[in-house]
Amino acid sequence: MSAPVLLEAEGVRACYGAREIIRSVGLRLREGELVALLGLNGSGKTTLLRSLCGLHRISGGCCRVRGTDCASLREKARAQLICYLPQHSGVVYPIPAEEVALMGRNPHLPLFGMPGKKDRERAHAIFEQLGIPHLWGIDFLHLSEGQKQLVILARAIVQDAPVMLLDEPDSALDFVNRHLVFTRIRAAVQGGGRCGLVTLHDPNFALAYCDRLLLLQDGGICEEVETAQAGCAELRAALSRLYGEIDILEHPGGYFVVKRSARP
Amino acid sequence: MRRGPSARPGDLLCFITVLTLVGTAFLVSLCVGAYPIPLSELAGLVSGKTGPSTARSVFFTLRLPRTLMAALAGFGLSLAGSVFQTVFRNPLASPDLIGVASGASMGAAFAIVFLGGGMAVVSLSAFAGGMLAAALLLGLVGLSRRRGMATFVLAGIVLNTLAQAAVMTVKFLADPERQLATIEFWTMGSFSNVTAGKVRAVMPVLLAGIFGLFLLRRQILLLSLDEDESRMLGVRTTLTRYGVLLCATLLVSGIVCVSGLIGFIGLIAPHIGRMLLKRNSFRVAVFSGLVGAVLLLVADCFARTLSGSELPVSILTSTLGAPFLAYLMIRKGESV
Repeated sequence: MSAPVLLEAEGVRACYGAREIIRSVGLRLREGELVALLGLNGSGKTTLLRSLCGLHRISGGCCRVRGTDCASLREKARAQLICYLPQHSGVVYPIPAEEVALMGRNPHLPLFGMPGKKDRERAHAIFEQLGIPHLWGIDFLHLSEGQKQLVILARAIVQDAPVMLLDEPDSALDFVNRHLVFTRIRAAVQGGGRCGLVTLHDPNFALAYCDRLLLLQDGGICEEVETAQAGCAELRAALSRLYGEIDILEHPGGYFVVKRSARP
Repeated sequence: MRRGPSARPGDLLCFITVLTLVGTAFLVSLCVGAYPIPLSELAGLVSGKTGPSTARSVFFTLRLPRTLMAALAGFGLSLAGSVFQTVFRNPLASPDLIGVASGASMGAAFAIVFLGGGMAVVSLSAFAGGMLAAALLLGLVGLSRRRGMATFVLAGIVLNTLAQAAVMTVKFLADPERQLATIEFWTMGSFSNVTAGKVRAVMPVLLAGIFGLFLLRRQILLLSLDEDESRMLGVRTTLTRYGVLLCATLLVSGIVCVSGLIGFIGLIAPHIGRMLLKRNSFRVAVFSGLVGAVLLLVADCFARTLSGSELPVSILTSTLGAPFLAYLMIRKGESV
């Protein structure tokens, strides 16, 4: 692989009080890569993600975006390098969808500045690209969860940051919308010169949409799998470390993971 | 392709209506009172050509400043209320939440009892009390390790409680005949003591607060997101909140130090604004401000005319406001 490295973390450690949640995690994401961070509840997925983007202070190691150490940056400079998609957005008051998306321009605007005509045109182009031009002008609170997540994705895209961190972006979505949102996320990462690190619970979505899987256990990365190259046995060996007894089914599009039921 | 900041045709109608109402209420307020001035005499008075000299003196030294102050107070309290509700992500937030009102009461009570109770001293002391409460709040938040919105609310509770304890102490020490009554009346709010001098003195402070909030309008909206979300969009949340709260406090303290406490306007008007325009933005905050100006002008007109003596204006704003809140609660809908 020759694509340039965008996100690089070395020996990242993070604690809550005296309890160490993340122990020495290192990872590298190259341009165009969408990487899944898989782990059970409490494995430290969210903490790792928050540590990488500076929301949680790291107690050791470093995280660099295009060679710049993120820990030393102020919010605004960091937001030009890293954008973040939450599980769902905290919009509480009625506000048009495009205004939510335009909030993504904040790191590029002066403190008292307002988004201009160019920003609006850009946002509109992205709405069209994501297939949601009809949401322009609609109250964000009236949208379905799937539509909301697409608007938030639009916001992340207008932010123009090379690194995208996504915290279970599919958690509130139905089956069809999860596929739709992941397709759009993948397109945004591949087409936009970005890389993406996404935490999620369903290994099948990770297999279907991500280039690489990082398996997190007890605050460390225990396995790493390239989805395009991994065979059935390799996948089973890696994933069973997290998920216990599983079966890997083969289908024309790839592999499918099922948990062996404990039901008699 | 739609590019402009999305304005809807209904918005314009709402703005025109509320501006007309502000104008009408302003004119009515200029006319009514213990010394009624007929509408027909107003033009002559303003140009200074005609009219009896008593009428002119009443008009310029009392009626005009009072009306101006009532309009400004309604506008400022509602704008600040709208900003607080946005920044605290809570439709029931108001400047009282961070102890501005209690701080101002403490300042006023202190001046009434210990500094002779002159009008200028009370105003100054009330203003200082409000600002002190905000400064202490920011200091308290700065000392704490977690600086999310919950910390601001907790610090507000601490300061409110302390300020109220101080007010009670001062009341306890006050002369029950005169001073206690003055303190009580101060906390019920009134525009009857507004003079041209006071309005001139406080105007720059109010304008500074409004201008500051105007500059910060985009950041105010960003602060209405989750803490993590706004930080990842490049907002230095704590510092920005400091700025917003300081501007809002400047505005509220500036008003309250002249008029005394005025209940409910800052809570109700933003709800009406959002209900009518069906969204939340700085434009809506300004609209809410205009709604607040109408409400307070009307309330002040009633305060002057309902009975032989002046009624405290908070009695009217609260009696109008509480049923309205009940109505919102029952109707629920998209009000917040």
